[in-house]
Amino acid sequence: MGKSFDPSLIVNFVPTLIHYLGVTLQILAASVSLGMILGITAAILRVFRIPILNQFVILYISFIRGTPILIQLFLVFYGLPAILLFINIDISRMEALYFVIITYALSNGAHFAEIFRGAIKAVDHGQTEAAYSVGMNNGQSFRRIVLPQAIRIAFPNIANAIIGSLKDTSLAFTIGVMDMMGRGETLIAATAHGLEVYLSLSIIYYAVVLLFEKIFRLYENRINRHQAVNVSAAG
Amino acid sequence: MIYLKDIRKSFNQQPVLKGINLKVGKGEVVAILGPSGSGKTTLLRCLNFLDKPDEGIVQVGDVQVKTKKATKREILSLRRQSAMVFQHYNLFAHKTVLENVMEGLIVTKKYKKTDAKRESELMLKKVGLEDKHHHYPSQLSGGQQQRVGIARALALNPQVILFDEPTSALDPELVGEVLSVIKTIAQEGITMVIVTHEMSFAREVSDRVLFMDGGVIVEEGSPLEIFNAPKEERTRQFLNRISRDIPIPYLEEKAN
Ligand SMILES: Nc1ncnc2c1ncn2[C@@H]1O[C@H](COP(=O)(O)OP(=O)(O)OP(=O)(O)O)[C@@H](O)[C@H]1O
Ligand SMILES: [Mg+2]
Repeated sequence: MGKSFDPSLIVNFVPTLIHYLGVTLQILAASVSLGMILGITAAILRVFRIPILNQFVILYISFIRGTPILIQLFLVFYGLPAILLFINIDISRMEALYFVIITYALSNGAHFAEIFRGAIKAVDHGQTEAAYSVGMNNGQSFRRIVLPQAIRIAFPNIANAIIGSLKDTSLAFTIGVMDMMGRGETLIAATAHGLEVYLSLSIIYYAVVLLFEKIFRLYENRINRHQAVNVSAAG
Repeated sequence: MIYLKDIRKSFNQQPVLKGINLKVGKGEVVAILGPSGSGKTTLLRCLNFLDKPDEGIVQVGDVQVKTKKATKREILSLRRQSAMVFQHYNLFAHKTVLENVMEGLIVTKKYKKTDAKRESELMLKKVGLEDKHHHYPSQLSGGQQQRVGIARALALNPQVILFDEPTSALDPELVGEVLSVIKTIAQEGITMVIVTHEMSFAREVSDRVLFMDGGVIVEEGSPLEIFNAPKEERTRQFLNRISRDIPIPYLEEKAN
């Protein structure tokens, strides 16, 4: 059991823990960027129903959505080295951080894919036809007309997913990554003031989430300055 | 300029075009009339393969496509012969008025940006929107949006411009500004095919009128022939029904 509650400790814990915010943000930045590439690719495979790959993507997305991220993390941590050993690649010495990034990239990719797929479909098809009518091919009309609008439509949901993912990174400590949460666990072991540590952590996570929300909202207002996003032309 | 041979098209086994043959000469303005569901839009869309015909030959300008053997490349070059003005405008919502008009020039005609801009400004002047370059479509009235649509089509300098009910989504007080722009460009000798329910406009602007019903061209002739002396019963019935919808003062004005 812990020692008696001492709120003044929070003043000491917060600066100690915030020191490790960088690791958390590093995991987030890497997994969101990779997830974005994965997500857009997967969404395109889905929307254009590329044979075989389409089915593969459906399975991937439904698996990610249907299993807890903690289990995915363990599957990657234990499973990936085992699989790669078959083809004589030994990654058992790879830093735990990379397994976390891979897992969160896969997870973000699946969620982003669904968001992008919805957003691509939400762009009025009439605009694609207009693009064809001015002589664009499929690729040109997708890149120049559909994608920019889909990204704007997707943005609020992507922002929410990123915030969700930020909070999910707090599970990284379970495979030994020394992020904020990991440092918190060692603090608890050393001081036996668990409640104070968790309060300190929640203060930091909460502040970061509020900051992210603020930044996302400003950015959203900026990209939508001039226009209704999903207008379907008529008006 | 346009040559169609035996165009057939079905949706879900339901025939919508049942063998359309048509020739349109250079500079000719053709109006297509007909009841709802008769296949007018589908015919127009077959001309640029937005709908792929099941059978037949489509030629626009000097690009001829045999439907059965159509390749992607052929369809692309067929599309580059024509431009389309849509019922619901279909402007690029994330681009300004000027960018909407420039887009085709830059992407498909490989214009330099400055040339595309100069050309587009000219077209916007022509449709009376020289003061709206930096507006987005959502900031414009329907009539203004449709005039951007016309400028976008004109800028491509196509062999043919296809209009699908360009005014039917507009509030009545905005119809006039769009029709008068179309009339102006019709006088410049551009080949046009116009699907419309505006009878007096069709009569005024067109060299030839087609009446479609049930997926076939029932009757065609000069506006005088079709409106004053239709030969087919179906054409007569259609025109009667339409003219009953036209308010009396308008008819009186026409009579004078
Ligand atoms: N994409 C589609 N899928 C299924 N049926 C279609 C499709 N497009 C058109 N049709 C059907 O084809 C028929 C002809 O449609 P079309 O739009 O060409 O008529 P229209 O003459 O333009 O009518 P309107 O005056 O109402 O615009 C209609 O019965 C319509 O329901
Ligand atoms: Mg129609």
